[in-house]
Amino acid sequence: MTLHPIRLTVNGKSEEASVPAAMTLLEFLRERLYLTGAKEGCGAGECGACTVLLDGLPVTACLVLAVEGDGREVRTVEGEAKATGLSVLQRAFIEEGAIQCGFCTPGMIMSARGLLERNSNPTDAEIVEAIAGNLCRCTGYEAIVAAIRRAAKEERDRR
Amino acid sequence: MLGEFEYVRAKTIKGGYSLLAKAGGEAAVLAGGTDLLVNIRAGKASPRLLVDMKGVKSLDRLTFSPKTGALIGASVPLNTIVENRGIRTRYPGLAEAAWTVGSYQIRNRATIAGNLCNASPAADTAPPLLVLDAILEVASPRGEREVPVRSLFVDSKKTSLSFDEVVTAIRIPPVPATTRTAFLKRQRVKGHDLAILNVAGRYDPATGDLQIAIGSCAKTPVLVPPLGEPVPPDAPIPELARRLEALAIQVVHPISDLRATAEYRRALLPVFIRRLLEALLQQSDHREAIR
Repeated sequence: MTLHPIRLTVNGKSEEASVPAAMTLLEFLRERLYLTGAKEGCGAGECGACTVLLDGLPVTACLVLAVEGDGREVRTVEGEAKATGLSVLQRAFIEEGAIQCGFCTPGMIMSARGLLERNSNPTDAEIVEAIAGNLCRCTGYEAIVAAIRRAAKEERDRR
Repeated sequence: MLGEFEYVRAKTIKGGYSLLAKAGGEAAVLAGGTDLLVNIRAGKASPRLLVDMKGVKSLDRLTFSPKTGALIGASVPLNTIVENRGIRTRYPGLAEAAWTVGSYQIRNRATIAGNLCNASPAADTAPPLLVLDAILEVASPRGEREVPVRSLFVDSKKTSLSFDEVVTAIRIPPVPATTRTAFLKRQRVKGHDLAILNVAGRYDPATGDLQIAIGSCAKTPVLVPPLGEPVPPDAPIPELARRLEALAIQVVHPISDLRATAEYRRALLPVFIRRLLEALLQQSDHREAIR
C-alpha cells in the first residue's frame, strides 16, 4: 500500500502527513488529527454529519479522499470557537435550542458557516436550501433555521 | 478506509488516459467521487487504481458565449454550472437539472461528466443535455473524438466509452435566444434522493421545433421520437400531450424499484409531459424555483 505525503491547512494550522489512498478526509481529521467534531453518519454523502469547508465550500468529508485534500484549506467545527469563547453561530444554536442530541450539529454549523460566508443576509428559503443536505432527527429544523437567521443578523450587526 | 486501491493525480490529459490504458480496465476516473466512492464502499465497484483528473487545470474551465455555446470542463462542479449566468440564461433547463442533484455539499464535488459517465437511468443532467444535442469531448491513446450524448448511454450504468477514454469537456451548441428549455423532476425528498421521473424539453416558438427527453423510465435516459412537424406556440396542449405520450411509450419501459412502482411511473408520465409542455409553450412555472 502506497503512502501519499500530503500537506494541508486545517483550521489555520499547517499539517503534514502520509496517508493511504483509501483514507477519507473524514478519517484523517478524526483519527489522525483527533478532530472528532465532524461525524460519520451514513458514509454515503446523504446525512451531512461530516460536513466541513474545503477551500471555503461545504463538502461531505466522507466522500473526499484525504489525499485529495493535499494543498487545500480545511475548516471544521473546531475552528469556530476562539480563545475568547464560542462563535456567534455556535451561541445562536444554543440560545435558540437548535441542539438536542448534537450529532448533526457540527455539520449543521459548517453548512451554516459556508452559507453566511457567501450570503450575509439569507432568506429562510436560502437557509433551508443550504442545510437540505444535513439531516437532523431531533429538532424538526425550525430552531436550526431560527439559529442561523439569528447568527446572520448578529454577525451583520457587528460589522 | 474505503477499500483497497491506489491513487494517482494526473497532471495532464495524456498522463490520465495513459494510466487508464495501462491498468487495462481496472482503473476508474475519480471526478467528484460522489458516486464512485459510494460504490466502492458498497462493494459495487472495485477499481485497482483511481485516476484523479482534477489536477489538470484545463478541465476546470467553464466558458460560455451566446455565439459559441458552452464548454464545460470535465472537473467543473455542478454548483458552478448552477451559478453560471450564461447557463442560467440560455440553458435554464440544464441549470435547474444540475440544481436538483443531491445537496449543496454534493454539488460542490459532483461533476456533470461524472453524472453522465455513471450512466444512471436517473442522471438528472442527461435529459436536458439530450435535448440540447450536447457533445462529449473525449481523449484516449488513439486520439481525440467527439461523442454525442445521444449515443453515450448503452444500458443502465453502461456507456459507449472505452476503459481508456477520458472525458475532457461537455460542449453545448449555441441555441437561438428564442429557444426555451425546461426540466421537471419528481423525487421523494429534496437533497437526498434520485428521481422517480425526470423530463426535459427544448422548444423554439420561432421555428416550432420541439424535443423532449425522459429519465428514470427506461434502462437509459431517452429522447422521445420527434413529432415530425412544427409546433405553434398556441397548439392545444392536451392533444399535443397525448401525441407525445404515444411516442414516449414506444421508448420507455418503466420498472418498479425502491422509489416507485412501474405503474406509478407510467401514471406520472402524461402528467409530466403536460406540465413540461405548459412550461415550454406557455412558460408556466412548475419548477422548484432556483433560489
